[in-house]
Amino acid sequence: MTPYRLLFAGLACATCLSAGSAAAQDICEDGQAVTLTILRTPGNYPYPAAMKAWQEKHPCVSFEINEVPFAQLADTISVQAAGASPPDIIVYDGPNTQSYAEAGILLPVTDYLPDGWEDDILPATRAEHSYNGEVYSPGIEQTTVALYYNRALVEAAGIEPPQTLEEAWTWPEALEAFKACQQGPAGAPDIWGLGPTRFGNGQPGLVYQDLLYQRSNGDPEAPQDSSAFRTFWALSPDGSTVEGYLDTPEAIEALTFYRAMFNEEGVAPKVGIPNAFFDGKACFYIDTPAAGNALLAEPTIEWGITPLPYFRTPVVHTGSTTFGATARSAHPEVAARFVVEMSWGEYAYMNVSQRGNLPTLRSLFERFDIYDDYPMKVFVDQLESWGQPRPPSPRFAQYDRIVSEALRDVAFGGDPERAMAGAERNVQRALER
Amino acid sequence: MKGATIPVTEPGAQAGRAAADIGAHPRQRRDRRAAFVFLAPFMLLLIVFQYVPLAVMARNSVLDYTLLNPSDWSFVGLRNFEDMIAYDDALTSFGATFLFAFGVVLLVVPLALALALFLNSKLPARGLVRAIVMLPVVTSAVVVATIWSFLLDPSNGLVNGALAGAGLPRQPFLTSVDQALPAIVAMMAWQQVGFGAILFLGGLQGVPAELSEAARIDGATRLQVLRNITIPLLTRTTLFVVVIMTVFSLQAFAPAFLMTMGGPQESTNLIVYHIYRTAFVMQQPGYASALSVVLLLIVLAISLAQMHLLRARWNY
Repeated sequence: MTPYRLLFAGLACATCLSAGSAAAQDICEDGQAVTLTILRTPGNYPYPAAMKAWQEKHPCVSFEINEVPFAQLADTISVQAAGASPPDIIVYDGPNTQSYAEAGILLPVTDYLPDGWEDDILPATRAEHSYNGEVYSPGIEQTTVALYYNRALVEAAGIEPPQTLEEAWTWPEALEAFKACQQGPAGAPDIWGLGPTRFGNGQPGLVYQDLLYQRSNGDPEAPQDSSAFRTFWALSPDGSTVEGYLDTPEAIEALTFYRAMFNEEGVAPKVGIPNAFFDGKACFYIDTPAAGNALLAEPTIEWGITPLPYFRTPVVHTGSTTFGATARSAHPEVAARFVVEMSWGEYAYMNVSQRGNLPTLRSLFERFDIYDDYPMKVFVDQLESWGQPRPPSPRFAQYDRIVSEALRDVAFGGDPERAMAGAERNVQRALER
Repeated sequence: MKGATIPVTEPGAQAGRAAADIGAHPRQRRDRRAAFVFLAPFMLLLIVFQYVPLAVMARNSVLDYTLLNPSDWSFVGLRNFEDMIAYDDALTSFGATFLFAFGVVLLVVPLALALALFLNSKLPARGLVRAIVMLPVVTSAVVVATIWSFLLDPSNGLVNGALAGAGLPRQPFLTSVDQALPAIVAMMAWQQVGFGAILFLGGLQGVPAELSEAARIDGATRLQVLRNITIPLLTRTTLFVVVIMTVFSLQAFAPAFLMTMGGPQESTNLIVYHIYRTAFVMQQPGYASALSVVLLLIVLAISLAQMHLLRARWNY
């Protein structure tokens, strides 16, 4: 190496170090070391590779991570966020954004968003993570559900599920397929027509998945005072009332069908069966892209995806876990910058590619080849054409729990009208407090 | 204790503890100080972890706030208590809880007594049998609830397998509004019957044998001895078992939390689970505190009833 090259290398190193130091001073006040505490669920982002890359640019920042299971996440946040030393960053379920924003838990990150973010972000994500004109979480992942099927079982039953949104089944058509494919007596078969969810404890009723039955029997284009319009939105657009939105005639009609699947028709189980679809114990199964990515990595069965069936209006829920900086963080500036930078550009790509859910940035879609073609393309198409956030409200957590329990009661054989009237009353009570 | 002075308490001497202390023997004062030193740590823990939270709970019952932002509270007076009457959730939950407690007591008392009579007889390997009976009692409520959830699975559970094998129709159990509460009553009774049996066994072993021997000599049958001597003499034990099982049932949380999540249609929404759900999920800790205050008063009332009823008519 010549002296000239040595000098050049030395200068380059000095430049790098000074740049790093400048960056450190830029994000850490007075160059002081900062420890950011993160509360998240196990196996969730921010992922180590992205964090390590970010830390190399900001060596003054270290992390302390606490993990709790998803089932205890909301309870833990509600206790810790109000405590003496709240976490700096929380990973949480996206639809709770408005609840946490209204309670003053989340820090608005609007001022930290990079140029071009508004054009790049999916509208459903933007809506779900905003409150009173401020963005509280930039979002990293987006998920939605579609209908997976076991190719061998379905073909043996002579069924050809559609592969495009234009040909998507209605729920009555899907039910015929479930019945044709199911093996064994209704209610206790060897192979179920429609397998149980993997969410929660495997019981039916989750708003994320099962509110879609009644919403799809509504119509967003109908007059605003019509029951069809209210059925589709399932909560008033301003989030102030639920009266007349859940127990409409269209909702009851859809839920009567929904109840029959678990009871009279006996094609769907009322309790969880772990890995039923992956073990070949179910013909059809509703899940997010995560299941497809798991099957691509480890193809235990031959499988395919068909768009989620509907009654009148195709609709799928969007949303995922997301993360935000807390308003009472000891280092709000650093926390907000970390959250925003983890959700943008290369860091966002590193995080999204870890789990395989859909990105929230349009610019990242082209970097995931698997979403270009069937079967995973179904998710992208659904998200763009049918995606709707779960009914946004500062009381979403209460709405979610009350309506999920009502839907579960219907699946267990309860009267849809009674269940939904009760849910309306209880949600309204929560909204008014 | 030669030479020791036995303190004599005059009637009405409690009128003034200070006066008593002044007149007390030095050893008596020393004993009191020692007792205080030994009791102080426990009393401190009791105050910090029992009485202070109770006071905070009573204060919170007249406030409205959320756990997400507890500093933003408002005083609402008795509104939380009025809401218990205006809405049906509290009534439904207390109703389900009392039905649950009634069912558990109704099952546990006769079964535990029968089991205790059996265990009181001359059995081979009696210690082993008693240990087996006690096993469910010492098993974690979470484990018991999980096992019973598997057993009662409406599609693939062992119980339904047995029913199907016997040619009987499958039952929905935990997913049925009519069967869910009886199912968790059965689970709770199965878990607690051993404890009840041990209590009854203690009572049985305290019954003077000569009474039943005399009755037998006079020609009474075993059933007559049981009905006219043993059971009346077990009144204190029976009441104790009833009270203990009632209190256990009123405090039950695991069956509702782990097996039914309070459903279907709130048929198993036991009050402690309802309080938890109201505070942490519905974000109404003020209302949950009011529910807790009412539950506390009910448990206190039961305890007072216990003190009254335990005055048995028979002593031996």
